[in-house]
Amino acid sequence: MAVATPLSPTANQLISWGLDPAWSRRVIIDGADGSPVDLHILDTGPGPKGTIVCVHGNPTWAYAWRDLLRELGDDWRVIAIDQVGMGYSERGRPRRLGERITELVTFCETEIVGPIILAAHDWGGPIAVGAAASLNVSALVLCNTAVAKPDDVAVPPLIATARRLVDLSCRRTPAFVAGTARMTAREHRVALNAPYRSAERREAVRDFVADIPVLPTDPSHDALAGAAATFATLDCPILLLWGGNDPVFHDRFLRDLRRRRPDADVERFADAGHLVALDKPIGSIVRAWLEAQPSNAPELEADNPGIGGALSSIDQRRADPTPVYIGPDASLSWAELAHRSEVAALALVADGGLAPGNRVSILIPPSPELLIATAAIWRAGGVPVVADASAGAMALRRLVRAAACSLVIGTPTTLAASIALRLAPGARRAAFAGLPGVIDLRRSTPGIPVPAVMQSASSLAAIVHTSGATGPAKAVRYTHAALVAQRGAMSTLIDLGEGRAFTTSFGPFMLLAPLLGLTCIRPDFPVDDASRLGFDQLAAALGQGRVTTAWLSPASARAIVDTAEGRHAPIDLVMLAGAPITSDLVAGIRKVTGGVVAAPYGMTECLPVTDGIDPERVGTHGGTCVGHAVDGCSVLIEPRRPEDPTAWGDILVSAEWMFESYDQSYVANAEAEVFRDGRRFHVTGDVGYLEAGYLFHLGRRRHVIETESGPVASVAIEQPIAAALTRSVAAVGVGPTGTQIVAVVIEGSGSLRIADEALARKARASTAQRIAAVLVGELPVDRRHRSKIDRSQLADDAGAFLAGR
Amino acid sequence: MTRVLVTGATSLLGGAVAQALAERGDEVTCLQRHSSGLGLTEVLADIRDAEAVRHAAQGHDAIVHLAALVAPNPRWADAVAINVGGTRHVLDAAQDCGRLLHVSSPSVAFADHASIGARAEAPTYAGRDAYAATKALAEQLVLVPSDVATVVLRPHLVWGPGDTQLVGRIVDRARQGRLVLPDHGRPVVATTFLDDAVSAIIAGLDRTGDDPDAWGRPLVVTGNDPRPLVELVGGILAAAGVSTTLRSIPAPLAGLAGRLIGRLWTGEEPPLTYFAARQLSVAHWYDLAETRRLLRWSPEVTVDVGLDRLADWYRSLAQD
Repeated sequence: MAVATPLSPTANQLISWGLDPAWSRRVIIDGADGSPVDLHILDTGPGPKGTIVCVHGNPTWAYAWRDLLRELGDDWRVIAIDQVGMGYSERGRPRRLGERITELVTFCETEIVGPIILAAHDWGGPIAVGAAASLNVSALVLCNTAVAKPDDVAVPPLIATARRLVDLSCRRTPAFVAGTARMTAREHRVALNAPYRSAERREAVRDFVADIPVLPTDPSHDALAGAAATFATLDCPILLLWGGNDPVFHDRFLRDLRRRRPDADVERFADAGHLVALDKPIGSIVRAWLEAQPSNAPELEADNPGIGGALSSIDQRRADPTPVYIGPDASLSWAELAHRSEVAALALVADGGLAPGNRVSILIPPSPELLIATAAIWRAGGVPVVADASAGAMALRRLVRAAACSLVIGTPTTLAASIALRLAPGARRAAFAGLPGVIDLRRSTPGIPVPAVMQSASSLAAIVHTSGATGPAKAVRYTHAALVAQRGAMSTLIDLGEGRAFTTSFGPFMLLAPLLGLTCIRPDFPVDDASRLGFDQLAAALGQGRVTTAWLSPASARAIVDTAEGRHAPIDLVMLAGAPITSDLVAGIRKVTGGVVAAPYGMTECLPVTDGIDPERVGTHGGTCVGHAVDGCSVLIEPRRPEDPTAWGDILVSAEWMFESYDQSYVANAEAEVFRDGRRFHVTGDVGYLEAGYLFHLGRRRHVIETESGPVASVAIEQPIAAALTRSVAAVGVGPTGTQIVAVVIEGSGSLRIADEALARKARASTAQRIAAVLVGELPVDRRHRSKIDRSQLADDAGAFLAGR
Repeated sequence: MTRVLVTGATSLLGGAVAQALAERGDEVTCLQRHSSGLGLTEVLADIRDAEAVRHAAQGHDAIVHLAALVAPNPRWADAVAINVGGTRHVLDAAQDCGRLLHVSSPSVAFADHASIGARAEAPTYAGRDAYAATKALAEQLVLVPSDVATVVLRPHLVWGPGDTQLVGRIVDRARQGRLVLPDHGRPVVATTFLDDAVSAIIAGLDRTGDDPDAWGRPLVVTGNDPRPLVELVGGILAAAGVSTTLRSIPAPLAGLAGRLIGRLWTGEEPPLTYFAARQLSVAHWYDLAETRRLLRWSPEVTVDVGLDRLADWYRSLAQD
């Protein structure tokens, strides 16, 4: 029995819910059966940039799109409809998915002229996607939804429960409505519950749940399959906005959508839930995304299929008995690597069901097994996700969960931890060991051919995490083409000759050994504490092979210099990677190794950028000289603001071996990517300048001090003071941007205090920069590298100190 | 040539402004109770005398109003009569001249918390400090829209050779061994060297005549070299040749002591007031962008240069 007079929200209600009463209106359309249907919609009215139609799920209503209505309503016509029987629309007879699709098409054809941007959430997703087949859709935005039940997912438990008790949970009691409303902030609850106050107003909530097709015999199965087919072929850009903390449409649904549309842009919020559209400021993200469409990205070079990707050097040396890896506990020859990775690849495919493109999380410390696992995943066509355990348990959990891997390879210890931390729910586990319920990657299965997946150049080769030392750790996507190009770039920097070896203090760098065709000798130190790689450990590593190159973090370089006691450890080339590199450190390591010391510039997103030659060179504006850009890499300097009178600015880099994108973060990509002269550039977040072909690095962009008279790079203030005092020094800005004053903190023990007069005078005398306060105190350093000063923390501390109390 | 009436020329800043105006060729009249000894035209009168003020202002193009009662613990009636009533009289007299430069103080917006790169906030101080409260009322009077072209400046902590207010008090207390700073004097404070305050007031006076954008809004005036309080105090004592060890008490304790003394002390110069304790406990430095733009003025004297001049002055005193 339909409710005779449809209920509308009052103006006072709408205002109290943060909606404009003028948006609320009613529209009568022809229903799927020909009889008229009275719909309630929120319609912001004409906008110059187009029309966005928003379709809510069950059991919400048009309110779910509040942020989109408020943020985009001026520039777009944003229409959020209440579905039939829901929100404030007419309570009609029950409807099947197919009828809802038909009615959405009718609504759009009646109300809208021109192309439509569709936005949908939850079970609004299949309705919108199904309707898209009959509409002129220019873009599609989906939030926590599905177009099919992924094979590896049971019916969502909440839905399953609701279906079993459908009448009780959905109609007779408000349990389902109220339970959904509780998934977001309290401020939304009244508005979400308001249209569903009585049992008769909740009939459609029940019918909706009952209509979800689970079996092929269910009436709406075909309509859902049609939506899935449309989704795969829809010719428009797609944005997936995903709450990662959703018990209904969890990450495996996101993985399913991504698999169906690898071209979709994704923004996943680890801390948002099912109602992501209310939890997060999606309006501003959708705006940025729509304004970037059609993509301003020029077509880059065409795909080059059929290369062996990162595996080629391994297969070329499959008969080579010489070592690719020498560690303190175990070594690995090229032949063993080739053979054992084939065995493991077979197990991954046969026992783990690994399909091309699947992601595999590797939780193995640097060891032969780390190299074998990586190669095995490549052989099987998978994508290794390399997480650095030293990032800390919680960061690791966030990163691994976000990657949504189908398999995890670990050691008995890390697999136990992955279960305890719920690192990868639903993923299968594998190890180079016999453990119950865990795939044994050592077990060969005779008779089945080894998979031989050829990698196309543009396919995803690896996901590597940034260190997190200079901001939240991000997942970086590399293609096979980039890895091959990286090999070429590295070959211009280091000696790749026969029998050469390298050593390093960076765990992930050890994976470069098979890629470069070099032997990696791993010194005996805990990988999460580079400062424990001292002279003795280095000398022991050098005794294992012909080491020509060492990549060292400043912390281990410092430890080596401090523990050398006049002894020598000859190395041709020492690359110091990461700040801070001081001239006494360069001199010290040169004395110990007798080799060339270089401070090349690069980052997880693009490595290498420069050759690091002449680190002691002095530049006009200070900073660290990081050498010339390597062949094939372009470096651009852009002033931070056009009106800034500085000769330095943002460092932009571009190279073939650059990363492809950040994983599932449309916003981070948009911020870190620009196009200049038809090339894609990475915005490094660093500042610096070019002088006589050399690049000088002036630190992080967010450490620039914005004074009344313009921006000042903190590094440029610190260097002369540190040199004059021969102590570690950090300069930070205090106060509002644009009127900041400079505080200089000189390293000392204890909490912050004002420096004594003589020290302050000496510090001020060594720089032309006006300094408001000279302080002494402990300098906070990041826990990962134990070398980078945490200037953000220090700025907060110095600001609070100098504010008084 | 501008004919300017300067009130309060017996103060260091008032005298310096009157002299600078005369030197650049303005026709200057000074109004105060006692002779300033500057050798300029003078009207000896009390700012509380409305008729005398209006009479003195006749025939002038502009008034620079500096006269105020600046004392740590004045009688409220005196503070109201001089700072509020006096400003009322000056405002009335300015109706005829048409231009007024009113010298106020950042303390009119003091809200007990630190001002960090702050812009001029509304003059809403309503605490127990008589000076800040009456100066706030005076500024509110002046900011009421009227036909008078009014520029309001808030110079912060003006100091320099000859200063008896800030420099004099610090040096006296240090000599008596009574100088105590909250929390070792760590908050950053912007001060104004005398010459910068004078040039700002003259720029403000000129803007009353040529730039309506600068009218009717308070503008903070300071140097552009904020420093921790302890450096400023240490520098002043060094310039005065006083060697002493600065003592410190925790800032909350200083505030508490100020409150207690405020309740119990009856004399004219209490050792500490709550207002002073708080002023010394939190940072005070400002965003000068608007002041620079509207006044077309910039501070020029750094703290180190100012301290050198102060030291020269103390040396010249010692030689006399």
